[in-house]
Amino acid sequence: MARVSLLWVERPGLEGLEPAAVARAAGVELNSGGPVEAAVVTCPAEEAPEPLRQRLAGKPVQWLELAAEVGGGDGAHRLARAAAAVARAAGRAELATLPPVYAPQPAQKVLVAGRGLAALAAAHEAALAGHPVLLAGEEPTRPGADDDPAEVERLAAGLPAGVELASGCTLLRLAGAAGDFRAELSRRGKESFGAVVLAPGGETVSCEAELALDWSWVRPLPELLASPPAGEQDRWLQVALLAGVSRPTTAGAFRRAVEAARRLQQGDFVQVTLFFREARVASEGGERAYRAARQAGVLAVRVPEEGLVVRDGGRRLRWHDPLLDEDLELAPDVLTTAWEARAARPEFLDDPVQWPAWEHLLPDNPRFSGGRTAVSGLYILGPLRGTPPGADRRAEAAAAAGDLHRLLSGGEVAPMPSVRHTYCARCLTCVRTCPHHALGHRVDRIQPAPAACQGCGVCAAECPAEAIAPPGWSNPELRAGLQRGLALAPDPKLVVFTCAGSGRGALDALARQAHTWPAGVLFYPVPCAGRVGLALVLKALELGARGVLVAGCHHGNCRSVNGNLRAQLRVDQAARLLESLGLRPEAVRFLPLAANQPRRLARAVEEMAQEVAP
Amino acid sequence: MELAEKQTPVLILGGGVAGLAAARELARRGVACVLAEREPVLGGRARGFACKATTACARCGACRVGDLLAELAARPEAELFTCAGAVAARRDRGRWQVELAPQPGEGAEPFPARALGERLALTCRAVILAVGYSPFDPRAKSRFGYGRVPGVISALELEAMLAQDTLAGPRGEPPRRVAFIQCVGSRDQSLGHLYCSRVCCGYALRMAGRIRHTWPESEVSFFHMDLQTYGRAWEEALPELRRQVHLVRAMPGEVTRGEDDTPQVVYSDPAGRHHREPFDLVVLSVGLRPPKAASALAEMFGLEPGPDGFLQDGPEVFVAGCAQGPRGIVESMDHAARAAAAALRLLDSGREAAHG
Repeated sequence: MARVSLLWVERPGLEGLEPAAVARAAGVELNSGGPVEAAVVTCPAEEAPEPLRQRLAGKPVQWLELAAEVGGGDGAHRLARAAAAVARAAGRAELATLPPVYAPQPAQKVLVAGRGLAALAAAHEAALAGHPVLLAGEEPTRPGADDDPAEVERLAAGLPAGVELASGCTLLRLAGAAGDFRAELSRRGKESFGAVVLAPGGETVSCEAELALDWSWVRPLPELLASPPAGEQDRWLQVALLAGVSRPTTAGAFRRAVEAARRLQQGDFVQVTLFFREARVASEGGERAYRAARQAGVLAVRVPEEGLVVRDGGRRLRWHDPLLDEDLELAPDVLTTAWEARAARPEFLDDPVQWPAWEHLLPDNPRFSGGRTAVSGLYILGPLRGTPPGADRRAEAAAAAGDLHRLLSGGEVAPMPSVRHTYCARCLTCVRTCPHHALGHRVDRIQPAPAACQGCGVCAAECPAEAIAPPGWSNPELRAGLQRGLALAPDPKLVVFTCAGSGRGALDALARQAHTWPAGVLFYPVPCAGRVGLALVLKALELGARGVLVAGCHHGNCRSVNGNLRAQLRVDQAARLLESLGLRPEAVRFLPLAANQPRRLARAVEEMAQEVAP
Repeated sequence: MELAEKQTPVLILGGGVAGLAAARELARRGVACVLAEREPVLGGRARGFACKATTACARCGACRVGDLLAELAARPEAELFTCAGAVAARRDRGRWQVELAPQPGEGAEPFPARALGERLALTCRAVILAVGYSPFDPRAKSRFGYGRVPGVISALELEAMLAQDTLAGPRGEPPRRVAFIQCVGSRDQSLGHLYCSRVCCGYALRMAGRIRHTWPESEVSFFHMDLQTYGRAWEEALPELRRQVHLVRAMPGEVTRGEDDTPQVVYSDPAGRHHREPFDLVVLSVGLRPPKAASALAEMFGLEPGPDGFLQDGPEVFVAGCAQGPRGIVESMDHAARAAAAALRLLDSGREAAHG
């Protein structure tokens, strides 16, 4: 194997980097004039000095626009990114692949499009992390439907210097990927942003929209509170408040409803009856508010599903009381309902070519907390996401800002995939299957956005031409590893691919417990189970494995949204292939696993090792 | 005695989910911190929680503790100590001076932390309190028979069992009939606990689902007042759960020892009829109480008492996770980001002041 040297050509953007430190961290030697076997150079070939090009003629060379890889951020981050880029290029130098196309440095500016607490908090937090912010919306500093106006006013008054306020300006269209989002804004035109936060303030909606109520007669609760009604001594006013009859409300809406019920009950000669299916008291102070309302005289009626019969648009309400075992009826003078804030989805997100479907964009997955979406660098906060008002929205904004800072500063080095353009057929399979929206195509080239790539390797598994892969995880590299391991391993030669999000953690836990594995079991870590793909499963069998187990995350727990599902799909496909060839389909399996289930992994591996043993 | 001294921008007390998430958030922004955990291992209670996935992830978040530990192990910014407790704190010229003392306790290798060997005097700008919660002790609710009736366990014990992929009744065999009793120590006027612990319906339903999935011949009854599940996923999951789990809207009066030594749940249904039903295993879904150290810490750092005995922010002191109020694992991680951001804002303002 050729020894790779780093040849440092000083370029704008490399200031402050110590060549020797980069070389040391990348595990290559810094060349200062001696002989060269293979080289990584810190500038593109066409911009290298002529003597250098002549010196390297005929040798395997990786020309690297290092400045584009390094990006912004502090010294340690830049060094880490530079070293990773050099190390990756060094690994390629002897393969003599074509140089990858590099995306420009991630833009640092953050667009916060929205209104109210969530938007203001996001602007504050992103500015704190050192990013210039454009806070854009119709009236970004006006409270959203369920925000505390005092807190919104306080945040709006104290906007940090790094936040530019663009009132009356809305986000019309959005394209691109993390580090390079292109937004079209009304009254401003097109601008580029590193990350985008969508945080609309939301509008007031009734929680009982599914009931057959006469909406011209139902009084909106906020309006009712503004001028509380009163009855008369010989004619009490009956107020019915529906707080989650068609379906249970959120805890926030329930709390607002019981507080409103208590205030209305304090009016002269007013009797409030509160109807609900579940007393949702899980918000802070919710139980106390519920008790206070009942102590104030509010009648609480818990009805089962479809247990409240609504007649005449709500003028007559009928339900069954289980304790009295009889039907009761109320003809309220005033009918009102609990309400919550709901935000409409921006229209541009409904473009199926440009954006994943809503369920895919906001997967129900514990790894997508803190405002994150499936699209790297795009965050959805507040009512549009369904986050409860108050402290939870502040927390979500802080978590989102931390995450976007990590992406844009290069704080974590994602091994960006390189594209072999001579192999690439421009079929755009990678662009369509990238779960993080990291791959784009410009003219006739596939271009990964460095800030968006999470290095999952799904593109490499799905590419039919082996034209794209994150460094270290390409098919040739993984095949080489399989070949080495399987050549030496005794039977049963069971290959276990472990996903970094699940199998890897379980494996580490077992290693700490000094677990011993049966002979002939080979573990191959992969960044995501979705990296494995059909070709690799079949290759392992071809190279002599008697079984292949892919340990990936449980359904709905994949960091790359659906890498685990892809893995399962490919394993099933391989099993069908084996079956059609008259071979045992059980030789390939997918194991859904979590990092904290080491015993499950141990059991599955041991069982399978026994089964596939000759 | 001379104390070893150390300076750090931020001190985090507590190495559970919230403390680790706060440390990670600071580390990602290049800010150094010291994290002190009283116990011999990091990860807090959630580290021992079970994965509750059935055919799909149940979204409990317990698996994410490992992610936090792995990321912090790879980062130089956070210095992690176990067996380290704060014993004294005072404010001096805009800095907190906190004394950490080694705590007794031995156990597994505390990687990626190291056990505190000697007393340490720390000077820091901001303190993040992430000391978690203490689970309600079900003995204080003696009518549910915990500690007296065989087969009555707390939900934490069930977590530990499921983490080992086992389920055992009082005689060691897998139980056929399992009951969950909700709101044990929560929403309870007689105890003065006038709050909902927020997470119990979620964790108990997840464990109920896991039991039904792994031991399909089992039957699960779920005694509750109101279902406090939240999030759109639960709305979709509930119809299926109703088929899997027998939801009973009643708070049992007591749990007694039956003739064959199995626990019997005595309750009245909404129509007022009395029932006495035998089970093999009764799980008490214990609520979350303020951390044991809450009052001591509140005094040490001069904090106003928060609602229900939980902690709340004070000058240059920020509370993260369940120490502030009951919340789930993933919510605690987000909440810790808030505390970390508040600490960063403080450091930032200091820098601005210093520059003029």
